[in-house]
Amino acid sequence: MPYNIAMVSDNFYPQPGGVESHMYQLSTKLIDRGHKVIVITHAYAGRTGIRYLTNGLKVYYVPFFIIYRETAFPTVFSFFPVFRNIVIRERIEIVHGHASLSSLCHEAILHARTMGLRTVFTDHSLFGFADAGTILTNKLLKFTLSDVDHVIGVSHTCKENTVLRASLDPSMVSVIPNAVVAENFRPLSQDSHDSKHRTAPGPRQPLGPDDVITIVVISRLYYNKGTDLLVASIPRIIVANPNVRFIIAGNGPKAIDLEQMIERNVLQEKVLMMGPVRHEEVRDVMVKGHIYLHPSLMEAFGTVIVEAASCGLYVVCTRVGGIPEVLPTHMTEFAAPEEDEIVAATGRAIAKLREGKVRTDLFHNQVKQMYSWTDVAQRTERVYDGISGVIRHDEFYQGAGAAGVWSATRGRSGVQSFALIERLKRYYGCGIWAGKLFCLCVIVDYLLYVLLELFAPRSRIDICKDWPKKVPKETKEKELDTARDNSNLMRKRSSRYRREKRDERDES
Amino acid sequence: MVLALLARLTAPPTQTLRTLRPTSSTVSFTVSTRPVPTTLAAKLRYYVGLLTRLLLGVCAVFALWVKWRISYGQPTDVLLWLLGGPQTAALLKGTGNVGWQYVGPGAIVVLLLVLRRGHTEESLTLLRDLGVQTSSSASTFLQPPSSRFIPTSDIQDIFIHEAFRGFEVRFYLAIVVKGEEDIVVVFPSLLPRRAMLEEVWRGARKCLWENGGGGRGGEGGGGGGRMKEKAGIGM
Repeated sequence: MPYNIAMVSDNFYPQPGGVESHMYQLSTKLIDRGHKVIVITHAYAGRTGIRYLTNGLKVYYVPFFIIYRETAFPTVFSFFPVFRNIVIRERIEIVHGHASLSSLCHEAILHARTMGLRTVFTDHSLFGFADAGTILTNKLLKFTLSDVDHVIGVSHTCKENTVLRASLDPSMVSVIPNAVVAENFRPLSQDSHDSKHRTAPGPRQPLGPDDVITIVVISRLYYNKGTDLLVASIPRIIVANPNVRFIIAGNGPKAIDLEQMIERNVLQEKVLMMGPVRHEEVRDVMVKGHIYLHPSLMEAFGTVIVEAASCGLYVVCTRVGGIPEVLPTHMTEFAAPEEDEIVAATGRAIAKLREGKVRTDLFHNQVKQMYSWTDVAQRTERVYDGISGVIRHDEFYQGAGAAGVWSATRGRSGVQSFALIERLKRYYGCGIWAGKLFCLCVIVDYLLYVLLELFAPRSRIDICKDWPKKVPKETKEKELDTARDNSNLMRKRSSRYRREKRDERDES
Repeated sequence: MVLALLARLTAPPTQTLRTLRPTSSTVSFTVSTRPVPTTLAAKLRYYVGLLTRLLLGVCAVFALWVKWRISYGQPTDVLLWLLGGPQTAALLKGTGNVGWQYVGPGAIVVLLLVLRRGHTEESLTLLRDLGVQTSSSASTFLQPPSSRFIPTSDIQDIFIHEAFRGFEVRFYLAIVVKGEEDIVVVFPSLLPRRAMLEEVWRGARKCLWENGGGGRGGEGGGGGGRMKEKAGIGM
């Protein structure tokens, strides 16, 4: 059953990042599966308005912060009129928000529930519980997630974290991992397209004791990415294993520490700092190395280590967050996030590589089988089915008991009720003061909705035409024939022709 | 009840599209918010309104003239002779007593109201092998409509796209002109609904490039091509 889905987040291209690529890949695959997907994000410098990306993905860059450029304060209600307009003209049924730090996403979920739409939220990051900032974020998260149909975490650790932060029922949180486009992360040996011919590569000769082993680090150089650990352990690793080189790519506030370390220990010959690399160049950097070192202190999923494994690198990483779930043990060497442990783990990894015990050349195909966006899209689709009641409740929430037993706020069909009083009940439980405040917000939002329905009625909003869906080859031919006597033949053909061409290019 | 009335009052005026096709190579599309009277009562109301406007305007000009004659001590005998009667004399006296500071601004306000155009009219005229002309009516009856002519050789493309305007997303019809940074938006102040725009768009393409699209400049050009893609959704 095809849905009209709106992905909402503050993070989207042209800004690079993990959430951005997740949204883009998921949207494209969902479109391939016959759904209609649009992306709503805020305007970036030089990018305002509406754009189409490859595959007919429509992106609304809402010029929303321009009105309040001076104050970066998240305006709870000012987004509603535009959001309602977009939702109506695109006939959206499901609103899917991403990233817990995006205020746009939270607002969209609140408004969507007011308008009576299904909502899904995907959490991409882990948060602590201790300091003031995270407490505030967690309270906000609790607010929006009090009335959301389903939540998706990118790893089991992430799910646990979200459940605790937002006090959710664990059964309404699914785990759908990220994925990688394995074709973009081929190892060096499969550089050409003849990978099919060499299904069974011969045993790789082990590296000799004097061969140089290159360790790659690609990350933004921030505290939470463990750059301090890196600074501390690089000199010790080099002392212990003289034939080791480092390539470090990425930048950030901790880059200066790394440079100081290099200067202090005179390692200019052994450690290469590349500065920032673009996402499409990451593979070219990765294939230069044998080991990928990932000293992160906090990570919900860690797409980069999947990319590294896909490039045929042996991965040394810290056992934090969702990382242990990501790769099978034969691809990784784990360490606690401590200097000694990382040095020891790297030493073990180098020794294994020298002995030839690790078949890194097989990693690519294994990763390809484990992670694909098509699979992610399929699983997300199942979530959509579940919340719209296409899949029966007890089937969707396996083992959660019969519908209505475990949660009074759910309707008989197992989907959350839209009635305002039911919603208020859910928000009221958020806290002594916060609960009342949230209820107030919801009521104001509802009144705003009523006013908008009166003064900007639906009849005044034009419905958009959908991007023409991909049709199987033979029907396409038939359509072409019928279009032949159309006066707009010329342009019909040309646009379709171009689309076909593009499809071919995409498939190749 | 009150809210419904308010909602009706805030509704934008209805737009009508008039298409004029004198020859096969010429077509003119006019979008207007002027209500077209159909029933007898509506027609009557329309003509009475017109007459009232005319009378009000004439009265304002007349009052100004009379005031000018009186204050400069020029004889107003013509008027007396023309209209006759004691009422005219009393009127003349009354007008003379009212100061300039009231007559002047009052007459100007009345004249402005009379001359104000209550509706907006925007049009797109296409002449094959010659070009297109866009025009928008001015806010008063005195000013001429602002128009712009674009030769066919300069037109790269015509397409429908969407943009944010205020708190909503609107469709617009735009012309890409060679060598210009900005596109030319047709019907810029009215921004008709999609159905109307599509009709105009189809008619315009048909009129300009009916025979095989020979006149289409910028075919396959990077920017133009992309925009055509977008326009493709309007089909």
